[in-house]
Amino acid sequence: MTNAILEIPEARAPDVPVRRKKELRGGWSAAIWFLLPAMLGFGLFILYPALRGVYLSFTDWNLIANEGEWVGTDNYERLFGSDWNNVKHSLWVTFKYTMINIVSQTFFAIMLAVMMDRLTKSVFVRGVLLVPWLIPNVIVALLWVWMLDANLGVVNEFIGWFGIEPVRFFTDTGKVIPTIAGINTWRHMGYTALLIFAGLQTIPKGLYEAGALDGATEGQMFRNITLPLLRPILALVLVITVVGSLQVFDTVQVATGGFGNRPGGPVNASRVIYLYIYENAILFNDLGYAAAISILLVAILLLVTFLQLRLLRAGESDLA
Amino acid sequence: MKHQTMKALTLLLALVLLAAACGSDSDESSSTAAETGSESSEPADDSGDDAGSEASADAVTIEYWLWDGNQQPVYQECADDFTAANPNIDINITQFGWADYWDGVTTGFASGSGPDVFTDHLARYPEFVASGVLTPLNDLVERDNVDTTQYFPGLAELWVDAEGNRYGLPKDFDTIALVTNSDMLTEAGMSVDDLSNLEWNPTDGGSFGEMIIQLTIDENGVRGNEDGFDPENVAVHGLGLEGAFGAFGQTTFSSLAASTGFEMLDVNPFGDSANYDDPNLAATIQWYADWIDAGYIVAIEDVESLGGTTIFQNGSAAMMMDGSWKIGTYIGPENPFPVEFAPVPVGPSGQRASMFNGLADSINAASEHQEEAWQWVKYLGSSDCQDVMGAAAVVFPAIPSAADAAIAAREAAGVDVSAFTTHVEDGTTFLFAITDSAGQIEAIVGPAMQEILRGQATAAERLAQIDQEVDALLGS
Amino acid sequence: MTVTTADQIEAESFSEVSGRLEKNRKLSVGRAMAWIVLAIMLIITLFPLWWALRTGLSNNGALFAGDQSLGPAEFTTLNFERVLGQATEAEIFEATGRPNSGSFDFLQSLKVSLIVATVITAGQVLFSAMAAYAFARLTFKGRDKLFFLFLSGLMIPPIFILIPNLILMRELDWFNSYQGLIAPFFFMTPFAVFFLRQFFLGISKEVEEAALLDGAGNFRTFFGIIVPMSAAPIATISILTFVTAWNEYLWPLTVGRDPDRQPLTVALGNFTAQQPGTSPDWSGLMSATLLAALPILLIFFLFGRKVVDSIGFSGIK
Repeated sequence: MTNAILEIPEARAPDVPVRRKKELRGGWSAAIWFLLPAMLGFGLFILYPALRGVYLSFTDWNLIANEGEWVGTDNYERLFGSDWNNVKHSLWVTFKYTMINIVSQTFFAIMLAVMMDRLTKSVFVRGVLLVPWLIPNVIVALLWVWMLDANLGVVNEFIGWFGIEPVRFFTDTGKVIPTIAGINTWRHMGYTALLIFAGLQTIPKGLYEAGALDGATEGQMFRNITLPLLRPILALVLVITVVGSLQVFDTVQVATGGFGNRPGGPVNASRVIYLYIYENAILFNDLGYAAAISILLVAILLLVTFLQLRLLRAGESDLA
Repeated sequence: MKHQTMKALTLLLALVLLAAACGSDSDESSSTAAETGSESSEPADDSGDDAGSEASADAVTIEYWLWDGNQQPVYQECADDFTAANPNIDINITQFGWADYWDGVTTGFASGSGPDVFTDHLARYPEFVASGVLTPLNDLVERDNVDTTQYFPGLAELWVDAEGNRYGLPKDFDTIALVTNSDMLTEAGMSVDDLSNLEWNPTDGGSFGEMIIQLTIDENGVRGNEDGFDPENVAVHGLGLEGAFGAFGQTTFSSLAASTGFEMLDVNPFGDSANYDDPNLAATIQWYADWIDAGYIVAIEDVESLGGTTIFQNGSAAMMMDGSWKIGTYIGPENPFPVEFAPVPVGPSGQRASMFNGLADSINAASEHQEEAWQWVKYLGSSDCQDVMGAAAVVFPAIPSAADAAIAAREAAGVDVSAFTTHVEDGTTFLFAITDSAGQIEAIVGPAMQEILRGQATAAERLAQIDQEVDALLGS
Repeated sequence: MTVTTADQIEAESFSEVSGRLEKNRKLSVGRAMAWIVLAIMLIITLFPLWWALRTGLSNNGALFAGDQSLGPAEFTTLNFERVLGQATEAEIFEATGRPNSGSFDFLQSLKVSLIVATVITAGQVLFSAMAAYAFARLTFKGRDKLFFLFLSGLMIPPIFILIPNLILMRELDWFNSYQGLIAPFFFMTPFAVFFLRQFFLGISKEVEEAALLDGAGNFRTFFGIIVPMSAAPIATISILTFVTAWNEYLWPLTVGRDPDRQPLTVALGNFTAQQPGTSPDWSGLMSATLLAALPILLIFFLFGRKVVDSIGFSGIK
């Protein structure tokens, strides 16, 4: 795929023999100046804490007292043993959330992107769709808790006009996860749509013309031209969205616990894995165990990402 | 054009950076001056847990944290008085919402950036004690001759752990009472007198139950005790619930459960066995679940998100049990109707019961100003400050004379709070269950209660199950 | 030197072509349906913001009594005044019964948010770009391995590194300071490095080679040629970084305990239950929410077209 945006109109003296440039390009002595700040940041704030986290997972670290002892694999044994039910439950909740979120977000994003591509190029529309993304997660959650409340919420008032009973969005065990997924979709669908929209621009228009001339319908063209050629972009979007969904936290914590309740309810129906980690670290004062669960989460993330990139053959593009 | 935009943006960024650098420098110095405490301009030395009593002659700022915004102005007044009397000690009060408060305290301890003094809670302090981050006050109390008998009986002992170390001086107490929507009471043809001698039992609800039924109205205007009552479409529930039950049910089930003779721990504080499998508790919780099903009590799902006060203020519940710290909410301008406070019903044991909770302030063992922190804590636990609190009548102070002032202030404003204070007078209080695993107990019991109230499990079965889990937790 | 921008792509875009092809197709049922759906999506997107505004202009008592009108319930500007610190305590108490509700220093929090987000953006973009250039263009031993290591940072959940980072802050005594709020994000994020590297890879080598022939060193080449040529992706990542930094919640929550150092996202936490069980101060909360979102909406409004185009044009492979 070409980045057609960066074209050089005039080449300069191409037949001057190349001489000194190799020495300037190679080796660490040149690269180090470019890399130093980033390496510093990475080492200090990502690598070192991560390694420390791994260490912590082999201890019984008491967060408040800020001390702990080596306990070997105790935490891991507990994770896969006595506490497995809780861990499994949280993983399952997270998985459910991710599935619902991905499906709904991708669906709406693609729909919006196609509409922006085919219906209207209006910057206003694109701008409006971006607005939710600008608002912090916390605020979005609070806003929707207020709007979706079973008693005071305007949404239930609205559906009451259609004669439907008020829906308990956050306090019905079966509805809380889809509701939170819906909130996140609302926040991200515009942004994701724009990413996909950009991807749509890279599809050579000639293909659509040819398709139209052959008498293909919009739907057929979408299935046979758009989707396959969007694969790299879709792959990127999916990877990022999945990784993000598996780590959902802010929204859940504020939406289910923002008013003095224990988050993750009701009956732990929304206790996503990240929340369980946080609970163990801060509420139960068991940082070692929380670290162990985190390692499990990292392993899962790596695995899922690897599988996704493989399955979606994200490195290739059907255009080439 | 792009090139110029880039230049412009870069310039803008540089300007902001410059402004930030200058701005933050001056802010830095001013804020560092203002907020010394455990984060003073001395080199960050974490081994600052000097139990010594060195009073520094220079100005010292004590960082004090609390969660109740309603009380903050009163504490500010106390702080101003305190600084007037102790000019070298300045108190910086910071308020965090309840949802954030304990996370902040925990991470504060963990990272060495915690407060010097903070409002502590009976459910939490044992954990802090176990981690060794609180300063024991015994020697200081003795040295300064602090009279620990000046408080309401029982309050001071709550803050002493199993080893006899004291970690706080009581500063207030709270109890539970029944709040009723006066308008609804009148419309049902009842009066305040009908509220004063209610009785309850888990079998048929007693006279309390009758009142609840009578106050319940379905969407067609049919009352709970009339023919044609539709439990599926209730407009007003006789009894509301303040929120999710949780493990201790302070404002929900604790009063009724205790009125059956139920006690949460075999020994309180710091018992090693819980009594969640007590049939009396099961009967109480099942009563709630059954009456929710019958439409007389508001569904638990409706109060778990925004809280039961919203439901009550919204007119969806006629009565509700709540704590004395909410008095201001119910008589304030945001409450759309007048209310009556009545004591909680008498139970099968022949007596009423109300959980008796009290807050105190604890000192961070890592604070670098132990002596000054103690002076502040001593002041907060003394009648100097508590009289101020009493006059403001936001909460009930722990010292009886100050509490009288609070009651009087309320009465002067036309509010009868005897429903709350009767328990103290009659000795019908029971203590908050103190353990060192409150967080984990909450995580075990809370969801179980939610299940029971949703009809997904029976109380007897489920509570027996969790009792085993909790016992395992406490015993270990 | 011309650089084809997203605008120009648009100019010769499909819609013009398809417009010509489909000019004769009248407003079909399909298109009408699509327009309706789009309109519904736009309403769904904007309605919550209207609702926040409406709630902020309402009176709490009226709200609790269940007023669901489309406009404000008992219109009042007191809530906004409260949040901006313009109302007296007496006024506040009279209206809400809460002595100090709404008393967080909005302007201070706004300033904190602004400073933190700007500094983070400046640093992160600059240093990530430099690193990205090194990965894309320079040759050195272990380059790809190092890049992969950076990339793996994307997989690490923030909670995992939160506590160790907190301890680091303590050791540096950077709590409640701008440095503490900024530090973890200032140098790079794996995403930024990845993103920019992809672009730099796509830049044709001839320009650089020409510059090097003229005697320019790596830095001159980078700042003089590459950066201006990459204005669009740099603008994109700057916006992404700024918005992300502006919306950061967990880290400032733990590091910025002092009200003087709380960005807007954290300061709003003051509104959620002051004590267990009180009904939240909805009108105050919603006013604060809107005011907190306002600065970024304003920036968006001013630079709207640019932002939209930048996001639209991410051109990632």
